[in-house]
Amino acid sequence: MAQSFPEDVLEHVFSFLNYDKDRNAVSLVCKSWYEIERLCRRRIFIGNCYAVSSEIVIRRFPDVRAVELKGKPHFADFNLVPEGWGGYVYPWIVSLARAYPWLEEIKLKRMVVTDESLELISKSFKNYKVLVLLSCEGFTTDGLASIAANCRNLRELDLGESEVEDLSGHWLSHFPDNCTSLVSLNISCLGSEVSFCALERLVARCPNLKTLRLNRAVPLEKLPNLLCRAPQLVELGTGAYSAEIQSDIFSNLAEAFLGCKQLKGLSGFWDVVPAYLPAMYSVCSRITSLNLSYATAQNPDLVHFVSQCSNLQRLWVLDYIEDTGLEALAASCKDLHELRVFPSDPFDAEANVSLTEQGLVAVSEGCPKLQSVLYFCRQMSNAALVAIARNRPNMIRFRLCIIEPRAPDYLTLEPLDTGFGAIVENCKELRRLSMSGLLTDRVFEYIGTHAKKLEMLSIAFAGDSDSGLHHVLSGCESLRKLEIRDCPFGDKALLANATKLETMRSLWMSSCSVSFGACKLLGQKMPRLNVEVINERGLPDSRPESCPVEKLYVYRTIAGPRVDMPGFVWTMDEHVSSRLSRVTERRGD
Amino acid sequence: MSEGPMAVVKPQMKSFIWLQTTDGSIQQVEEDVAMFCPMICQEVLQTGMGSSKNYAISLPQRVNAAMLGLILDYCRFHQVPGRSNKERKIFDEKFVRLDTKKLCELTSAADGLQLRPLVDLTSRALARMIEGKTPEEIRETFHLPDDLTEEEKLEPLRNITDDPRIRLLNRLYARKRKELKEKQNLKNIEVEEEQHVDERSVDDLLSFINGGIEDSKGARASKNKRKNRRRKEQPRNSSLNNENGDHKESNNFSSGCIHSDSNNVASPSKTSMSKDMASVIFSPKLGFNEGDIDDELDPAMKEQLDREVEDFARRLNSVWPERMQELLSFGQERRLVPVTINGNGSFKRCTEDKILLSRFGQEMMVMSSSCLVSLSV
Repeated sequence: MAQSFPEDVLEHVFSFLNYDKDRNAVSLVCKSWYEIERLCRRRIFIGNCYAVSSEIVIRRFPDVRAVELKGKPHFADFNLVPEGWGGYVYPWIVSLARAYPWLEEIKLKRMVVTDESLELISKSFKNYKVLVLLSCEGFTTDGLASIAANCRNLRELDLGESEVEDLSGHWLSHFPDNCTSLVSLNISCLGSEVSFCALERLVARCPNLKTLRLNRAVPLEKLPNLLCRAPQLVELGTGAYSAEIQSDIFSNLAEAFLGCKQLKGLSGFWDVVPAYLPAMYSVCSRITSLNLSYATAQNPDLVHFVSQCSNLQRLWVLDYIEDTGLEALAASCKDLHELRVFPSDPFDAEANVSLTEQGLVAVSEGCPKLQSVLYFCRQMSNAALVAIARNRPNMIRFRLCIIEPRAPDYLTLEPLDTGFGAIVENCKELRRLSMSGLLTDRVFEYIGTHAKKLEMLSIAFAGDSDSGLHHVLSGCESLRKLEIRDCPFGDKALLANATKLETMRSLWMSSCSVSFGACKLLGQKMPRLNVEVINERGLPDSRPESCPVEKLYVYRTIAGPRVDMPGFVWTMDEHVSSRLSRVTERRGD
Repeated sequence: MSEGPMAVVKPQMKSFIWLQTTDGSIQQVEEDVAMFCPMICQEVLQTGMGSSKNYAISLPQRVNAAMLGLILDYCRFHQVPGRSNKERKIFDEKFVRLDTKKLCELTSAADGLQLRPLVDLTSRALARMIEGKTPEEIRETFHLPDDLTEEEKLEPLRNITDDPRIRLLNRLYARKRKELKEKQNLKNIEVEEEQHVDERSVDDLLSFINGGIEDSKGARASKNKRKNRRRKEQPRNSSLNNENGDHKESNNFSSGCIHSDSNNVASPSKTSMSKDMASVIFSPKLGFNEGDIDDELDPAMKEQLDREVEDFARRLNSVWPERMQELLSFGQERRLVPVTINGNGSFKRCTEDKILLSRFGQEMMVMSSSCLVSLSV
């Protein structure tokens, strides 16, 4: 490339690079590219909010328009991260507000967001457009009111599956009458009723509204009112899908759906009354994404509805679909990319539905594009896993949750090592894997040998010894996130692979056998890792070095240890270690 | 002339625009083709140039004869109104099948002529050539220099002296270092001898500093955090907070450690190097303007800072020797990290910094300062 290649043209070339990975590669090419790239980077993704400080980000990228931040580790979804652990977004908002007056987008996942943060967002940015809060907590509807009232050009407000303190439904009325810019609104996680009149008026005056996900409190009878005012909708989340069986309600609903010619995605369906499902038949053939994970409908209504959607690409459904339903799905939905089957009654030891490994095998056979699976079931066999692996070598995400921990192959009573081994061996593009059932160190050997593109691995109640962990850490070249619970992994594999941890985003280990001593050593040896120990029972009184930690969260960082930890979280560095040894000395151990 | 049967039918007169490229060559181009380029169009309309050979429009330097030829081919095709979108797309796809060098030249030339659609087309093609490649591969493709040095990658961490608090702490750190060193010198004759002359250049020292800076940055950060910790813990666990006791303990501990440090270290030069490193890093000579710092702070903040700094200094005494040990051993460990970076198995000769840094994945890199520039490989 000649010296004379103009910078602004190079910037223009970079603008066509959509992936962060490419932008990052570009910035490492040479000095001039590094400079050009950093000045024109507009979107930043920060996978761990504690890996870097806002000061560093701001210094490097002076003109950012969109920021995405993630806070708590994934296992927070399973209540393994105690309350108060961290993930506070407020300090970030303060910095961003100061540095980027033209910031338009903030997307947060698993972070603690306060009303203060929301208010600051609403008042700091001149052209604020997008707020996405996925699995966040800490705010109330008052915070939402600030956003509604102050963000004149708001395009997207998505509350994901956040925990919102619902003070009142009036916040929605804070959208000014001249707000017509909404494109996407997702309030499905809210409990209380929003003012329907306000909602109706809002929907009516936003001609570009493409996504509308209502909360449960919006009654089915009123849905047509909204649909008629927004026939351009592409994604709809209904409220409670139940009403008394009345023909006029049905016909209104059917007519309203008939008018929605662009509809591609459906969700919601709380308390579904099957009799009302046929009202949507007119849109079924265009539907590509269907989320029935709250729909307690059973077969034959359920399978009949799903089979209507011949162009389905993504299906989330409860296990009421059963094996028969999945077989029908395999026959009618040849475009299926992603299937998630959730348990309707996970705490019951006995199966309440007839959903077994057969359903998944059927879908893997019948749907050639299937690449993403999350499947809860009560029994599995090596044979089934081998079949799935052979059918679908294009699998990218495979998450299997056999409800009973350590459940063996139900036919042979052997561990499921062979089955998962077949998955990693055949599915060469596999990026994400969650395992369950009875598993020995052998499965980790397979994983270390074959899963070269694996980026995220979740393990629970598996393995026999440190050997297992060692295979994973030493073999999985692309590993970014590793989360482990209740496995007999101790210090050896962890310490032997300490440098590996710097190449990953994070490691989570809870209820394993990692000792305080090992954590301390790891923290001392690896200054670019934060080795955080979560011990709700406090530091051990006697012989702390060999005591196992409750939970360990290790992540790479250039921001040093964090300063916002609660009392039961420690960063293991020299300080803690000297405190630990002082404790030992005093007790005379 | 009469219009009888023998009248000559004149061929339709086409207008031509005369263009001159930097290599001196002049050519005439059909008007409707040339005018497709906004730059040429502008020149013709505003200055009236291009009507004859003597008044040929001088094109920008980036547009050589070969590139002009290509661009005119593009214009010639697209200025015809009747073509379908599909036709145009097929033409475009074929058109950009050029080698990298030509594609770059073409992009640059198209930009010079302000021909936006062609700039977009070629830019997208270049972006496709970049997608999915590693920095090394991109460098090879575009013949770019590998001029991001280790120092530069690490250097920006040194710039974290903007915060007056940190500069103040650095200053104090430097003073404490000096005091500690003086104490050592009195206690340990061997060490004193090694101190005498360091004949390496400043550059060598600076490059070693950069190798060590990140660790000390980590140290600084963790010390700050420790400071907060201590305050939080005071009400909780007062038995551990006997300040005087700590102070005495740590003093003894520290001198003991230094003593063992110098004995255990592999080579004498390393000892002196690290000690010099310490003094050079934190020496006021490195450009901290002491006068400036105090002027910037308001009195209340200064008071608070003084308190924090004192606290910090106390901690320094207890922690520094351990930190030294770590720096030394960490440096050695880094050398042991295996060298292969690329999957192709080729053995790259890199410094250990690059190796370590190269193992970082993309996300870390996004966030990093230029130090972490290299972390994204």
